[in-house]
Amino acid sequence: MAISSPLNSAQPARRRPIRLGNYLFILPAIVFLLLFMAYPIALNIQMSFKDVTASTLLVGAPWVGLKNYVDVIHNPAFGHTVGNTIVFTLASLVFQIAIGLALAVFYTRSFPGSTYMRGLYLLAWSIPIVVSGTVWRWLFDGESGVINYLLRSLHLAGDRIYWTSDANFSLAAVIVVNIWLGIPFNLSLLLAAMQGLPQEVYEAAEIDGATKWQQFRYVTLPLLRPALLSTLVLGLIYTIKVFDVVFITTAGGPLDSSQVVSTFAYKLVFQQYQFGQGAALLNMLFVLLLALAVLYVRSISREERS
Amino acid sequence: MTSVPVPETAAPRPRLLRWAQVGYSKTFFSVIFLMIFLFPLYWMVVTALRPQSEIFAYPPHFLPLTLDWSYFRSVTFGNPQLLRYFSNSLIVGGGTTLFTLLLAAPAAFALAHLPLRGKNFLLLLSLSSLMFPVIMLATPLFVIFNQLGLTNSLFGLVLANTTVTLPFAITVLRPFFLGISHQLVEAALIDGTSTFGAFWRIILPLTLPGLLTTAIFTFLSSWGDLLLAVTLTTQDTYKPITAGIYSYIGSNVIRWNQVMSLSTIAMLPPMLITLVLQRYVVAGLTAGAVKE
Repeated sequence: MAISSPLNSAQPARRRPIRLGNYLFILPAIVFLLLFMAYPIALNIQMSFKDVTASTLLVGAPWVGLKNYVDVIHNPAFGHTVGNTIVFTLASLVFQIAIGLALAVFYTRSFPGSTYMRGLYLLAWSIPIVVSGTVWRWLFDGESGVINYLLRSLHLAGDRIYWTSDANFSLAAVIVVNIWLGIPFNLSLLLAAMQGLPQEVYEAAEIDGATKWQQFRYVTLPLLRPALLSTLVLGLIYTIKVFDVVFITTAGGPLDSSQVVSTFAYKLVFQQYQFGQGAALLNMLFVLLLALAVLYVRSISREERS
Repeated sequence: MTSVPVPETAAPRPRLLRWAQVGYSKTFFSVIFLMIFLFPLYWMVVTALRPQSEIFAYPPHFLPLTLDWSYFRSVTFGNPQLLRYFSNSLIVGGGTTLFTLLLAAPAAFALAHLPLRGKNFLLLLSLSSLMFPVIMLATPLFVIFNQLGLTNSLFGLVLANTTVTLPFAITVLRPFFLGISHQLVEAALIDGTSTFGAFWRIILPLTLPGLLTTAIFTFLSSWGDLLLAVTLTTQDTYKPITAGIYSYIGSNVIRWNQVMSLSTIAMLPPMLITLVLQRYVVAGLTAGAVKE
């Protein structure tokens, strides 16, 4: 008794500090995320049910229920914004993945200089979007922009197009910039996936007399399906939350013609001081993104199981 | 007799010969693709170095016939405001990188190797916080920082940027820790040192490539941030270079050679990092996105 009881009691006592110690590793990160992420998100949810404007920002704003949500949905720019976001996202994704895939096929087999040149695409991804967005605005310039010059010398456009200030063209301009920005990401992901594919399958296909196109269509594409799926979902999430590209290239204008959800929220909050409405809009976006996140995690875990 | 050519074709060819067989046609096309793809960056530098009179030339001169360094020098190195923007960006980028690694490395290690309750929930939380649009944080952070007096502060910008980079850093780092075998971790823990000692002295040095990858991503993200910078700073003294450039293009009349000069400067650090540490950038892109 005298011997065994200290042993028995020592067992849990010795274990507990280790387990508590384990939590010390993640505690700083958790505390930080609670303070600067969970709390702001909670504040956002709270603001969306209150009439928060510039004058009521720091003192108690009155609760208004769902009024902010109703107001945002009835805002004349809302329909425009949702439509633009859908067009922007779909067009960006289709072209980013198509171009990224084509380049990935081109760069899978090495050739002189391939490794180095492949890496140069990353430059477009790594520099600040303010920088690339500004350059594109200059390229799209109506008077002396290079794009108008090219279009006119190829007789594709008769008149000068004021891309970023013409409501008919602003969304197209923003989409072009975003496709350019997304190519490196799609190329890198798909290239990594393609280089992971078993080489024997291609050798077998070649022996069977399959053409290059048949190899791509019947070997590469089916094997690449999981990678394409996760690239697509990630791209979807990144594209829906896009802000900088639109903010820099057109600022959502003119007349909301290229407004997307995040720039619209910025306009509501920081230009019209409608904090409540901005928060309501962002919460709706949040729910949508959360659903997509669950979809992504599911598709990944399904992949890992199979 | 007919067997003579067989060994010739079967023998492994020297690399150069194989390349010659493939031909440099792919290299040629690759150069063309890159020239088209990277044209915007070329155009930025060329515009920055052009005399005012040539900027609005129509048709545009694609080759830089005359370069004018004096204007570029005067708006960049000779401009104390730009130097201020630049050093602010370095402080915010460096500070965010250090702070993020400090928080993320132990957390990612614990999530990879230590028994924890609610581990899956935490993983899901950090993964799903990658999906938040930054604007969703910028609005409430603006309100909170106003109350705490953290607007117009470089420290405030470091905190704000860390909210974006921390979940990402944990997600990118965890697979690197998972790459270390569990037996090795166990052995390090049993070896008499404390858990933290084992982590610091044995595990962390093994994940240096992962730490470098994460550092690169964190730095690039905070260097390129515009939204937090424009919402949380109003005074030029505290603006990073991205917000500085934005204040030059906000006006209706844009002086393109000035803006392109600033943009060229803002592009240099990320460009150097990407060119020199390419391998780690690719590793991070694929590890963060596909695997986890």
